[in-house]
Amino acid sequence: MFLVDAPVTGRRQVARGMFVLGFHAPEIANSVRAGQFVNIGWTPGPLLRRPFSVYRAEDSHIEVVLKAVGVGTEQLLAMQIGHRVSCLGPLGRGFEMTGSGVVLVSGGLGVAPMPLAVRDARAAGMEVTWVHGARTAADLCAEADGDRVIWATDDGSQGFHGTAVVAAPDADLVLACGPNPMLAAAAERWPHAQVAVETYMGCGTGVCLGCAVPLHRGGYDRACTEGPVYRAGDVDWSALPSHLHYAVGA
Amino acid sequence: MKPDLSVEVGSLRLRGPVLAASGTFGYGTEVPLLERRALAGVVSKGIFLRPREGTPPPRIVETPGGMLNAIGLQGPGVEVLISDYAPKWAAWDFPVLVNINGESANEYGELAARLDGVPGVAGFEINISCPNVEQGGLYFGNDPRAAAAVTEAVRRRTKLPVWVKLTPMVGDIGVIARAVEGAGADALCAINTFVGMSIDLSSYRPRLSFRTGGLSGPAIRPLAVHLAHQAARAVRIPVIGIGGIARAEDALEFLVAGCAAVQVGTATFVNPKAIEEVHDGIAAHLQAKGFGSLADLPRYLPRD
Repeated sequence: MFLVDAPVTGRRQVARGMFVLGFHAPEIANSVRAGQFVNIGWTPGPLLRRPFSVYRAEDSHIEVVLKAVGVGTEQLLAMQIGHRVSCLGPLGRGFEMTGSGVVLVSGGLGVAPMPLAVRDARAAGMEVTWVHGARTAADLCAEADGDRVIWATDDGSQGFHGTAVVAAPDADLVLACGPNPMLAAAAERWPHAQVAVETYMGCGTGVCLGCAVPLHRGGYDRACTEGPVYRAGDVDWSALPSHLHYAVGA
Repeated sequence: MKPDLSVEVGSLRLRGPVLAASGTFGYGTEVPLLERRALAGVVSKGIFLRPREGTPPPRIVETPGGMLNAIGLQGPGVEVLISDYAPKWAAWDFPVLVNINGESANEYGELAARLDGVPGVAGFEINISCPNVEQGGLYFGNDPRAAAAVTEAVRRRTKLPVWVKLTPMVGDIGVIARAVEGAGADALCAINTFVGMSIDLSSYRPRLSFRTGGLSGPAIRPLAVHLAHQAARAVRIPVIGIGGIARAEDALEFLVAGCAAVQVGTATFVNPKAIEEVHDGIAAHLQAKGFGSLADLPRYLPRD
């Protein structure tokens, strides 16, 4: 785990309202695995850091993907190149890559951990199918990549008419990320899938116990430490908040 | 020359004035990156006799300059604390105090008795912000008699230092402070979080599943400085200041206002190195002002 003073190195749009931000953070770029995240803070900014899955990592740079959903993300998207943020990471447990092929299933901003998953799967010699879904064609992340790419839209404007979970083929290894209701649907179909969940988060390092994930075995554990990747069938999806929005009035 | 930052809190000699506050430093093993030399001591995450699951999510929400939390004192119970954590503490060069909790005065006493003499346990911080189940859920900390009864129940079962963490949700903190001083507390910690609430305007429901939560962070600092000062004026035992400390200047405000030491809490969530920066900043301030030790820092503490 590293605490890096990281300048913004670039920004590009990848879907309607969805942007990729790059940072110079060599220690994190060199050690991050797919499914791990960074907790980013800046001044002046909100009190708490904001967690983001690492989207890409190469040549001393990391990237995260975000939409403006609150004051914090608006501030991040308005930053000029060279503006410095404090980047804590890599955090959490990532995906475990096993077998000869993998199906990646992402919905909306759930693309976040997938480019790294493609990298790690290819490094393990696996064949990659990426199924990416969103509400409409304009909301699909243009950067989905794999040996095979399947698009899905709720309105049928591109690819499969329906959700990414329904559009996906079966596989021994399924990795999924997206809104919690989508992951609950993935858990119904593939209890063994590995899913990256999103929660409210405080410290990101296992101390505050704010990012509680309810489990079927009873009790909670920490998305930041035991997660954010879980076996889909282990999570009590009915007890996990279905939508998140950071409540910053500052 | 480096100024002497050591302080005495009752019988406990600390190598510096900056401790880690309960609930923001786990059991002392979790926070990465921090240089431990700056740490004068740790107050453990709050513990009950038995394991507790904690509250359903959402458990935390950010507010202007602060955060609300309702974790529900999730924890493994005292036996796991003794088997898994205390042996590590015994090897450390700073004290770990256990933050103890209960539903009755007797439960607090039993917890103290179970932990008394366990290697690694240097003392207790009593969280009196718990509901008293035997008295219809009234908070121990709001009632001088209940607060004194809990303090006495712990005092009777241990010779280790007993600190009492005061709640700010009272009419006159001096009354509670004097009551627990009279019941045998060695020091006071002022203050715990304020009770707050935040509403989600998309669901028209509270943002926290527990409805309310404890407000911490810079937003509460001036309130906390005042209450710690009021507590310090009311008693002769040392007061440890807590509430929104993120920088050395914040800690120095509490020290000048009459506190013997401070605890850093929420700031650690934001900056894992916060304790180190506060400690080093206090040393730099003393040096810049030409003070040889923290004892030379002027205090503003007119007595009641």
